Amino acid sequence: MAPPQMLADFPHEVLLDVLAKADTARLKAFAEPLIAQLDTIGVLENRTGLVMLPIQDTAQGTNFHLGEVLVSEARITASGQEGYGMRRGRDLEAAMAMALVDVAVAAGVAHADCATFIASEQQAQQAADHERLRRVEATRVDMETF
Amino acid sequence: MAYVATRGGERAIEQSQRLYREEMGAITPERVNELRQAMPYLIDRVMGEASLYDEDLAALALAQTGGELYEATLLLRAWRTTQPRLAVADPVTQDGLFTHRRISAAFKDIPGGQVLGPTLDYAHRILATEVLSGETHVPDPVTPAARPSPAHQPSVAAWQAENDLLTAAKPDQTTGNDIPDVTREPLLFPAKRAHTLQSLARAETGGVLALGYAAQRGYGQAHPTVNELRLAEAEIKVKHPRGTTFSAGRVKLSQAEVVNKKGTQLELGFAATMGWNEVKVIAAATLDVNSEGAAKGSATEEEFFLYHTEGVESSGFCIHFKLPHYVTFQSSLDAMRDAKAKKVAKDKAPEPAE
Repeated sequence: MAPPQMLADFPHEVLLDVLAKADTARLKAFAEPLIAQLDTIGVLENRTGLVMLPIQDTAQGTNFHLGEVLVSEARITASGQEGYGMRRGRDLEAAMAMALVDVAVAAGVAHADCATFIASEQQAQQAADHERLRRVEATRVDMETF
Repeated sequence: MAYVATRGGERAIEQSQRLYREEMGAITPERVNELRQAMPYLIDRVMGEASLYDEDLAALALAQTGGELYEATLLLRAWRTTQPRLAVADPVTQDGLFTHRRISAAFKDIPGGQVLGPTLDYAHRILATEVLSGETHVPDPVTPAARPSPAHQPSVAAWQAENDLLTAAKPDQTTGNDIPDVTREPLLFPAKRAHTLQSLARAETGGVLALGYAAQRGYGQAHPTVNELRLAEAEIKVKHPRGTTFSAGRVKLSQAEVVNKKGTQLELGFAATMGWNEVKVIAAATLDVNSEGAAKGSATEEEFFLYHTEGVESSGFCIHFKLPHYVTFQSSLDAMRDAKAKKVAKDKAPEPAE
């Protein structure tokens, strides 16, 4: 199936999901030229921090904390819009790059390029998951008991 | 506990740290990167016990401590305190897990089937000594299946509840900062279930194994069967300032359900931890299923196992015995000498008849 090439094809949730998992080098390379196309950029936050991750216990249904995950966060304004990035790991530039793409999409800047980039990254992520799951499937047990 | 202030050790302390680090040599980005890539299960163990998920930091902690696991965990827990908590993610549920390994020892035909995933369970334990003779050991590649395994599966417990084998868990509606948190509240007994499971998630693997194994060997009340063991990746679901919920990435986690027959129903124990560490979650779930009604002071009583499997506290207490205890020990010696002197005096004292 051909990837969608219009930003309207990507709900905000999917767009953010894809950007948060996008290849770091490609994301930075794509986001940098957006700076010149956006009006004055204000940085509200660009920091590392922790996200606590809870999980639900299947025995009694209790939600409890597993531990904290290191993330990088960026929150910016540009062209009258707010952009946000949060990615796992301690790469402030990558979080900023995600926020730049988010704000560009919100401000209607470089829409076609953004759509192409997001479609391409989504395809790469889906392909990686597909390949991994083919390997997992190879370990399926066809069990026979005696 | 009484300590004595001493001085005169500054130079020795400085040189002792140098001596420790000198043997390891320079810590380079390449070394950290190599550790991260070559030791994923060790990295996972350290991240789980530190309650801090970041492979790079865990690899750095291992490089900096020469693989001294208690020190590495302590370094990470200390570093964690320098960071603000930005959010609490949405609770992970089993049907949202990207599953790499899912097996059951209780039921052969669980819905979705059994996939072994990455494991050495059935491997021949043979050292590849040819590497020490200069050869390179290249593992055989996986032959991928034509179709992918389903990424998402419900828990085996959910299927059992549908089949009236156990009472379905009532999902907790507590979220965010309302979920009890042992990193911000004291652990009191009887412990909240959220505290118990969080403490087991960050417990020291060896400690959990020792006590879980004791329960499995018969010092517990329940002999568990592994209902489901799963290695997976969980999405970190956070909120955009405009309200959109999205995943900021995935983290590896392990979870185990163990089951025990209790009357006409099955009783479940559960444990999960960050990273892939299946021995820990099976042992921890064993302790969970055994804890109800356990005798005071037994290995399966929650106060006993939660206090004694907290690795940073227990290792810290153990090594504190190396600190100068001259005052307390001198006091013991004085009491011993005094008792000896009194005994000698008593032995020498003339009998009243003399």
